[in-house]
Amino acid sequence: MSETPNDTKVVGGVVLRRDPVREACFRVVHSDAEMQEWPDMSEISRRERLHRHMNNETAAMEIAARCLVDFPETPWELRMSLARQVADESRHTALLFRRLKELGGFKGEFPVANFEWGVTMMLDDLPGRLAVQNRTFEAGLMDILGTMRRRWREAGDSATADLLETILVDEINHVRFANRWIKRLTREDPRVLLKVARAVRFLAQVTEQLAPKPGDLNAVGVAWTEERRLPPAVNIEDRHEAEFTDGEIAEILRQAGFRSIVPATPGG
Amino acid sequence: MGLTIRQKADRIGGFRFVSVFLMETLAKWIPTTPELEAKVLFGRHVWVLAQHADQLGRRTGELRAPAQYSHPPTEGYVRVLETLASSAGTVERVAAFYDAFLPDLERRYREHVAAVDHIDDEPSVRIIEHILFDLARLHQEREAFAAQRPDLALVNAQWPAQIAALAAGEKEVVGERPVAQAAAETA
Repeated sequence: MSETPNDTKVVGGVVLRRDPVREACFRVVHSDAEMQEWPDMSEISRRERLHRHMNNETAAMEIAARCLVDFPETPWELRMSLARQVADESRHTALLFRRLKELGGFKGEFPVANFEWGVTMMLDDLPGRLAVQNRTFEAGLMDILGTMRRRWREAGDSATADLLETILVDEINHVRFANRWIKRLTREDPRVLLKVARAVRFLAQVTEQLAPKPGDLNAVGVAWTEERRLPPAVNIEDRHEAEFTDGEIAEILRQAGFRSIVPATPGG
Repeated sequence: MGLTIRQKADRIGGFRFVSVFLMETLAKWIPTTPELEAKVLFGRHVWVLAQHADQLGRRTGELRAPAQYSHPPTEGYVRVLETLASSAGTVERVAAFYDAFLPDLERRYREHVAAVDHIDDEPSVRIIEHILFDLARLHQEREAFAAQRPDLALVNAQWPAQIAALAAGEKEVVGERPVAQAAAETA
């Protein structure tokens, strides 16, 4: 077992951190083209969604865990938040694995990719990792879950929809503590903002280089259309909960083509 | 046991050091252990150990030491911790942590509670009782892991016993801080 997972790999000309360890039953791939994803809510698509989400939660747990290991001088309150995040992502992994098995799936049924780990772990400072993993990837997950809970419910699977609601609530907390700490650390040392900017720029470069092009096919022959390449509809309500500013949400809306999720009605 | 305030702070700070070290050890193992069920087990317990460290650290702040003060253990005990952290292999890690190291730590917590005046040091006693309650749950979840993965077995059958023996061989977790050092750290 590797004690220091600091090796790198090259994917599409981009240097990324080598993958965390996975069981032999998993086939780890490195690009969207190798993934098996279906746009519908067929049975196999549902299992693949759960399987992919389970692996992403595992990677989120691993990233938060490495932040605890790599930055021992971090203020204790922030380390507590990271430790809580590790446990939350662990629970999410367990919940998704249980649901996957309930739907007849199993570990290794589909390929998995560790893009978030590969990008985030290339950053050697905590503000940068929080900016990319929590403020970007996890905030993006909030947007996706905002839409997907409805799709699962419409597909007649309220158990999975309820599970996604549970995960969404936790993710809001992870994004919020990152927002708070980045603001606090920047107030204490303005140079932190440079680290955040560098991290966000790195993510943008990697995404630009590796994102599938319209017409590209994945491993099951599904084409990437312009619509599928768009960022998900913005979960405005929960981004407010996670303490994004109005200006930040406006910018994210612009990037998403002004598509947003209609906030739930009170009590709804 | 008539402990001075400094001795109380050092012992609680020593337990805090151990809790943080264990939290970091599990965190380090998560990306380097293949089995999903093991990652989940370690991940859930990272938070438990962080809470223990936090509670102990709040208490050090009440004992004329800094809040969240960790007192470094003796050299011998550090060797025990580092050997534990060097465990390789999934079952070696699980068995060394839950079956070998934690029982020794629980014994030390119990001995501390048994030795101190329960009225004089009630806040520390309550924290440790809470920790012992949590650690019992960790053992249950380790058993659940074994039930989930009956296919896994020790490669190095002696490893857990080696960790247990190493831990048992160390009399104390922490040494005494010289008075001048304690005063400087408290100032």
